[in-house]
Amino acid sequence: MKGLWKHLTPFAPDQSGAVSVLYEMGGLLVICDAGGCAGNVCGFDEPRWFTQRSAVFSAGLRDMDAILGRDDRLVEKLALAAKKLDARFAAIIGTPVPAVIGTDFSVLRRMAEKRTGLPVLTVDSTGMGLYDAGAEKAYLALFARFAVEPCPVERGRIGVLGCTPLDLGSTDAAALTAVLRARGWTRVDCYGMGAGLDAVCTAAANERNLVVAPSGLAAAEHLQARFGTPYEICDPLAETLLPERYDYAGRTALIVHAQVRANALRAALERRGVRVQTATWFAQKPALMRPADIRLTGEEQFAALLCGGFDLLVGDVALRSAAPGFSGDVIDVPHFALSGRLARR
Amino acid sequence: MMRGTQNVCWLTAAELARRGAEDIPPEMVSGTHLIYSSPATLAYNSPGAEGFGVKRAGLAVPGSVMLIVAPGCCGRNTSLISALPQYQDRFFYLVLDETDVVTGRHLRLIPQAVAEIVTGLSTPPTVVMLCITCVDALLGTDMERVCRQAEERAGLPVRPCYMYALTREGRCPPMVHVRQSVYSLLEKREKDPAAANLLGYFAPLEDDCELYSLLTQAGVRTVRELSRCRDFSEYRAMAEANFNLVLNPEARFAARDFEARLGIPSIELTRLYQPDKIHNQYMALGAALGVALDDIAPMARLQAAAARLRETHGALTFAVGECLNGDPFELSLALLRQGFRVSEIYGTLAPEKYVWLRHIARLSPETRVYSNLEPTMLYYDCGALPADVTLGKDAGFYHPDCPNLAWNQDVQPFGHMGAAHLYEAVAQLLEGGAV
Repeated sequence: MKGLWKHLTPFAPDQSGAVSVLYEMGGLLVICDAGGCAGNVCGFDEPRWFTQRSAVFSAGLRDMDAILGRDDRLVEKLALAAKKLDARFAAIIGTPVPAVIGTDFSVLRRMAEKRTGLPVLTVDSTGMGLYDAGAEKAYLALFARFAVEPCPVERGRIGVLGCTPLDLGSTDAAALTAVLRARGWTRVDCYGMGAGLDAVCTAAANERNLVVAPSGLAAAEHLQARFGTPYEICDPLAETLLPERYDYAGRTALIVHAQVRANALRAALERRGVRVQTATWFAQKPALMRPADIRLTGEEQFAALLCGGFDLLVGDVALRSAAPGFSGDVIDVPHFALSGRLARR
Repeated sequence: MMRGTQNVCWLTAAELARRGAEDIPPEMVSGTHLIYSSPATLAYNSPGAEGFGVKRAGLAVPGSVMLIVAPGCCGRNTSLISALPQYQDRFFYLVLDETDVVTGRHLRLIPQAVAEIVTGLSTPPTVVMLCITCVDALLGTDMERVCRQAEERAGLPVRPCYMYALTREGRCPPMVHVRQSVYSLLEKREKDPAAANLLGYFAPLEDDCELYSLLTQAGVRTVRELSRCRDFSEYRAMAEANFNLVLNPEARFAARDFEARLGIPSIELTRLYQPDKIHNQYMALGAALGVALDDIAPMARLQAAAARLRETHGALTFAVGECLNGDPFELSLALLRQGFRVSEIYGTLAPEKYVWLRHIARLSPETRVYSNLEPTMLYYDCGALPADVTLGKDAGFYHPDCPNLAWNQDVQPFGHMGAAHLYEAVAQLLEGGAV
C-alpha cells in the first residue's frame, strides 16, 4: 500500500536538512513548531547537537497560536531572544504546523527583520519533504542573502556544498578536507560543516565549488550565475567506503544512496567489474542521472527491485529489513538521513 | 534578571519566594519565550526520544501495535525505540504527503492500512493504536470515528493516541490522554475486594518498594500494574480492582475514567523524597483504607542511607535537574533537610512548586534556579558554580566534568525505598562503583 511503511522508519525530513546547513553559521535558528519537531531535529537528526552548542530554538507554538495565526507572538519571542543572544542573523524553519495553517513566510521574514534589526532567512519546509529539499532551500537562502559582494578569486580556495552530517555521515568535515588538501587546495570551506558565515559572505572568492550531495547543486548553480564560479560534482570520499578485501568480480549490485554518492560508488564499482544499478529515495537531479536510474518511493517497490536479480546491495544496512527475501550480500554504506547512523572511517 | 558574564538568566530561591507564585518572572514561563533546544530539554521537546513518550506509552498494552499516521518528520526518531527488542515489528507508519493534508484522503486509507498490518502479522495484535499528530489536530480529524471504521475493517480494537504537541500545556496534554487510551479497553468486571491497581507509570515500581508490603498490610493480595501484565488477559483483569492508587498526576484523567466507566475509585499519592512527608502520606493512605500502616523499617532504611552518605562524604553540594524521576524542587528540599547543599536547580517553575520553593528559600536562600527552556541557557557555564554531584540527565549536561547520577531509569523509584536507593546510588557513584 502506498505510503505504508512496515519496516523502515521515516527518513530525515526537510526541516532537518535546513537546520543541518545552518547549524554552524552562528545564527539564531527557530524551528516553527510546538516542540516535537525541534526534539526530532536535534535529538535525532543532528549528531553535532550533543557535542557542539548552537542557538537552535523551538517556537513553542501552542494550539491557539496556530488557530489564531499569532505570528506577532513568534516575532516578539524572536526579538526577545535576539536581544539576549549574540547572533548575526536569524532563520525561521517551517514544519507541518505552519504548512497546515498556511503561514506566509515572506511576511514573517519582513516582520521579524523589522522587529529585530537582524537579517532573517526563512525556509518553508513542511516536514513532509525530504532532508535534501530542505537543505537545498537553506543553502539558496543563505547564499542569496549573504554572498552578494563580488571579490577577487583566491587561487587554491574551494567551497564545498552539500556537506552536512545527513549526507557525509560524520560530525565534521575533517576527512573531506584532508582529501581536498591532498589534491592541492589550500583553503577548503565546507559550507554546513566548519565554514561559518564569513566564508559564505566571501564565497565569490572561491576558485571553484564542489558539490558533494544533490542539496548543494542549486546553490552551486546560483554562485556560478552570480559570480561565474565553476563547480564540479563528485564525492571524493565515496570510494573509501568500499571494502578493499571483497570479491567484486561478476557481481550485480544495486546501489542505494544519495545521488552524488551513489554515482561515485557506481564509478568505483564499475572499475572493479561490477554490473551496477543505482537508485535513491531522495532527490534525483536530471543532470546527474543515467536513464536507467530509479527513484524509490516505497518498501514494496524496493523489495521487488532488490530481489529481482541483484546479489549485492550497496547502501545502508538498515535497508535489508525492507527486503526480507533478499539473500545476497550487503556492503554497508551508512546514510545518516536514512538510518541515523554515522559512517565508519 | 540577567546575571553573570555570559548573561545567563537565573534567580535565587529567596528572590523567587519574595516575588511569590503570582509573580513568576516571564523568563521562567515557557509560553513567553522561545524554547532553547539543548540535550537538557530533549525530554521536553521530544518526550518520545527518552523514557516514555506517547509512542512508547501507547504500546503499554500487551500485544499491541501502533500505526503512526503523520508526516515523516513526526515518526523520524521512532527508530530509537523500534530498535529495542521489545518494540520490534510493533511500529508502522502511514506517511502523509501534502496531498493527504490538503484533501484528507489519508483518513480513508487508515482502515485499509490497519487491515494490511494485521493481516501481515504472524500473531494478531490485541489492539492497534493509531498515533496522530499536530497535523490532524489542526485538521480537526474525528479520530474516534476513524478508529471505529478501522475496527470494522480489521476485526479488532483500534484506539487513538493523540501526540498533539500543540496541546502540551492544555487541559488534556498528550501524556495525559495516552494514559486514558491505554486503559480504554478494560470492561466492567466483578470486583475483587483484595485487588488494587497502581496507575501512573509505564514501567513498574522497584521490586522492593514498600508500597507493595503496605498494601499487603491493608489486605490487598493482588497489586496490578500495566507494565507487569504479561499478556492481555492479565491486563483485562485490571478491571477487577477494588481501588486504584494514582502515582503520577498525569494519570488523574485515566483514574476518573476508571471511576466513571468501571466504578473503581482512586487515591492519589505523590512521589516524594522527604521521609516525614512520605510517612505522613502513608498514614493518610492508611486512614483512607481504614487500617494503620507501618512504614518504620523502610523509613529507617532511608534515614540510614542519607546519614551514611553525609557521614562518609560530608555536606555534598548538589546541582539538581528535572530530567529525573522526581520533582527537582521537592528533591532539592529533601537534600537540604538531610544536611546537604543545593547550589543550582534546573527546573520548570510553576505556582504549585512554591510549596517546596518557600522552604528552599528559607534553608538555602542563595540556591540558584534556572529554567532549562530559557534561551540564555545557551551560554550556561558550569564554572560559575561548581557542584560535587549532579542529579538528573540535564544537570549532567551542564556539568560534564562532575559525577552525575542520571536517575531517569524506567523502573520507578517510589517512597522510602526509592529515596534510600537514591542516596545509596550517589554513594556508589562517589565510591567508584557502577550505578
